[in-house]
Amino acid sequence: MRMMEIVPIVVFFMGMFGLMTSKNIIKSIACLVLLEMAVIVFILGLAFRTGILPPVGQSLENVYSVADPLPQALMITAIIIGLAVTAIDFTMIINLVRRYKSTDWDEVKAMSTENFDEC
Amino acid sequence: MTEALLLLWVVSGILILQEQTVYRMVIYLGVFSLITTIIFLFQGAPDVALASASVSGFSTIFLVVCFEKYYGFRDKPVRRKSFRAHFKPAQIAQGLAALAFCVIMCLMFIRFIPGGYASTYLMYQYITMFQSDVGGENAVTAIYLAYRLYDTVFEALMLVVSVVAVVHLSRFDELSFDDGEQSEVRHSKIAIRTIRCICSVIILFGIYLIANGHISPGGGFQGGVAIAVFFVCRYMIFNIYDIKINTVLKDEKIVFLGIILVAVFAIFLGVHQYFPYQHLPLFQTIYMLMMNTLIGIKVALGFLMLFYRYVAVDRRR
Repeated sequence: MRMMEIVPIVVFFMGMFGLMTSKNIIKSIACLVLLEMAVIVFILGLAFRTGILPPVGQSLENVYSVADPLPQALMITAIIIGLAVTAIDFTMIINLVRRYKSTDWDEVKAMSTENFDEC
Repeated sequence: MTEALLLLWVVSGILILQEQTVYRMVIYLGVFSLITTIIFLFQGAPDVALASASVSGFSTIFLVVCFEKYYGFRDKPVRRKSFRAHFKPAQIAQGLAALAFCVIMCLMFIRFIPGGYASTYLMYQYITMFQSDVGGENAVTAIYLAYRLYDTVFEALMLVVSVVAVVHLSRFDELSFDDGEQSEVRHSKIAIRTIRCICSVIILFGIYLIANGHISPGGGFQGGVAIAVFFVCRYMIFNIYDIKINTVLKDEKIVFLGIILVAVFAIFLGVHQYFPYQHLPLFQTIYMLMMNTLIGIKVALGFLMLFYRYVAVDRRR
């Protein structure tokens, strides 16, 4: 069983289920974070073997017991960009909450369509 | 052990999904990120674990402070009524359809996981060559500072763009920003005393991560986020907005220009495979230290900017 690949897929679809069904805007953002973390764990888990060593050190003789450094370098970038994207999401949420005084998707949608009709 | 950790991970995800109050959901999100960090350690990725730890710490503080000030955070349930009164049958049907979709897609994805492991050819190249090509002892730093330098430059650009986007999206007409004011919000005394003890350790840790990024786990991103957390702690202690947002934004752009200049200079000198000064490890060390420091300052300024922007917006409600 390759748990490091199966479990992130499960968590990814948990996040997707949350995105589909959540009624609260902040909860949607939390589900987005869940989804992103699942993808990162999946990509790192593709090369997972038990007893794997980090790629840090002076002499890495036994190359095949060392983790793959390339996905790690890419995933650090992904984490930082994920935080930037989350920050933009929060800005949009704060705009919505300032405008409609609610964090419920249904109420915000109803109010925004009303305003649209007035215009 | 790994299986137990993964089970704990899934359980914390389920806790996030079922929680009905925003405050507790944020705390569960912090727990989820912590367990993810430990999983990264088990996967042999201490650099990613450090990045994840500092980012999740930053985002948890960020969420708690911002939504406490803005949204009130009066731990009110998202769904007040009982399940039967809240959901109409049509909504329950939609939820079941979404659940069925997710389960089926999940099973399909698990079914089509390719057998065998990822190719190790490139990994072999990187691990055997990086010490002579780039120098240092950390393969991950070597990759993002030399082999894949373009990725790092464009990531820094992404961060600048997102900070500019946040500044412009949160610009409201009725608000004007004057700096150096005392905040009205009072934080808890226990929290402030704890933060006073911790914050000096945090900035030391950040500087350590940046300075030793090329020989041990760590690097510019992780150290930068840790330094940003220090400034957030400083805000929590003194409760004052004495950082001018426009100055920070300008500084960030200047540092980004510095990153691009150093990177272009290094590319023209040939830092990677065709490095002409392979017998000069001092030059390599200076290059890596310089890049790590610049990236650290840039990331710290960017996140500091994001935090102060939210806090300043939230202040005048």
